[in-house]
Amino acid sequence: MSKLASNEYYDLVRTTNWTPRYVPESELFPEMMSGARGIPAEAWESFDEPYKVTYSDYVATQREKDAGAYSVKAALERANYIDDADPGWVSTLQAHYGALAVAEYAAATAEARMARFSRAPGNRNMATFGMLDEMRHGQIQLFFPHEHTKRSRQWDWAYKAMHTNEWAAVAARHMFDDMMFTRDSVSVAIMLTFAFETGFTNMQFLGLAADAAEAGDHTFASLISSIQTDESRHAQQGGPVLKILIENGKKDEAQKMIDVIFWRAWKLFSVLTGPILDYYTPLEHRKQSFKEFMQEWIIGQFERQLNDLGLDLPWYWDEFIRALDETHHGMHMGVWYWRPTVWWNPAAGASPEEREWLESKYPGWNATFGRCWDVITENLQKGREDLTLPETLPTICNMCNLPVVGAPGDGWNVKDYQLVHEGRLYHFGSEVDRWCFQQDPERYKGHMSVVDRFLAGEIQPQNLAGALLYMGLAPGEIGSDAHNYAWAGVGKQQAAE
Amino acid sequence: MALFPLSSNFEGDFVVQLVVVDDGATMDEVASACAVHSIDRRVAPRPGKVLRIRRHSTGELYPREMLVKNTGLMPTETIDVIFSDI
Repeated sequence: MSKLASNEYYDLVRTTNWTPRYVPESELFPEMMSGARGIPAEAWESFDEPYKVTYSDYVATQREKDAGAYSVKAALERANYIDDADPGWVSTLQAHYGALAVAEYAAATAEARMARFSRAPGNRNMATFGMLDEMRHGQIQLFFPHEHTKRSRQWDWAYKAMHTNEWAAVAARHMFDDMMFTRDSVSVAIMLTFAFETGFTNMQFLGLAADAAEAGDHTFASLISSIQTDESRHAQQGGPVLKILIENGKKDEAQKMIDVIFWRAWKLFSVLTGPILDYYTPLEHRKQSFKEFMQEWIIGQFERQLNDLGLDLPWYWDEFIRALDETHHGMHMGVWYWRPTVWWNPAAGASPEEREWLESKYPGWNATFGRCWDVITENLQKGREDLTLPETLPTICNMCNLPVVGAPGDGWNVKDYQLVHEGRLYHFGSEVDRWCFQQDPERYKGHMSVVDRFLAGEIQPQNLAGALLYMGLAPGEIGSDAHNYAWAGVGKQQAAE
Repeated sequence: MALFPLSSNFEGDFVVQLVVVDDGATMDEVASACAVHSIDRRVAPRPGKVLRIRRHSTGELYPREMLVKNTGLMPTETIDVIFSDI
């Protein structure tokens, strides 16, 4: 039997708008969920995207992708790669899975909002596949680390992290909640699929896949490459939605959504991806620096996409470019110093050879961040590990929920951007974080950072032990230096003596 | 006498930190409390210098003997702790 080619029927069968008779359109597509912004139905029907995948093709392709990734895993499982892998790479995997696996599963909800409530039939069609994509990403990224739970309880945080009050999990949830769960379908299309997925997941998945292949971790490389092929497809939903908004006089609103969530995503990646690429990945396996990846994937590609759509660069672009040399170094030092409060073992990445690499990639690193690492290294060499562990909490930004950091040493420029709103003092790690808050204070004002909770007495006892208890970190899960201080020229045992 | 949380932005350090002091503490005592979390941890000592406190938002330098409760600082407000010759 002959079969019609999909391009002969595709546009027709996805035209699923109709005129409701039993309920008004306002009930079928509530503004709070749809976010049509007064743009008429005909305009939304112009939504188009390049993939035009059919359900049968989708299922067949996804099956092949799964078969590929799972068979690589099965084939290499007995090789016990993880047992011989550099501890820094193991930490990379644990940080990645904990921060993303369950968040990806949750993203199915955001895709489902578009699948149900978007006024654009093409968007609803595409988001149905996106929803299935995100379920696959959640499942596969929980299944792959599961084989390692016999090795350490830290692997269990692939599932556990997002169900705790661990500070990095709180920061990630605050951003994901803002972007995925508390927005109408149009905002989700722009913030999640355009700004976040087009802009940033490209880098996490392609950047990390490159380093994984270099490190010989073919299981992880095939896993995240497999995921990225889905991301590339469903990330295409934002562009057509933006086009419709711009054509209907809503450019400023669209621009603001991009500006807010781009910065929020950048901050999250500065603590997740920055340390991984520049500190955790073994030196010999580093493909590019974090800054170079950002320049290629964000500055090169994202900038071009904004331009093609007729949008502007975010107003803070110069500050963003400047921060590429700085923010993630501060985030890394914070994670390492407060290492008992994370579910992976941070690799310091501060051996003489690594410092040389950092100085070559980030001229001035030794005179700034290097100054702090000098003191830390000396303490370890003197056997004063106690001075390399925290006795208080960092001040946390009330937008990104990450520590307020800046350049130390000779270039000291740490700044807290404070704001009093309705009598409450808020702290922000940058002018842009504060600006994000000011765009919609009602949305953000009630959230308590981990420090706010500590001061409100929610964390008991009010010490490190109480904080670890509050964060759900038990012995065997709390982080320690990935290489037992070998990078500082000492072993942990020696340091403790 | 009551506990008073402040945010310490210590010269040469990379991060702002929570430091809880007594509202009857002098600025010199506040500086010492902040130093515990930065000096010899990530910031090298600077012999011959004294530590002074200034309001982060305005740059106003507080007298060394001034009490926390007389500064007008809000709870958790950020102070700079800087090295000074006097």
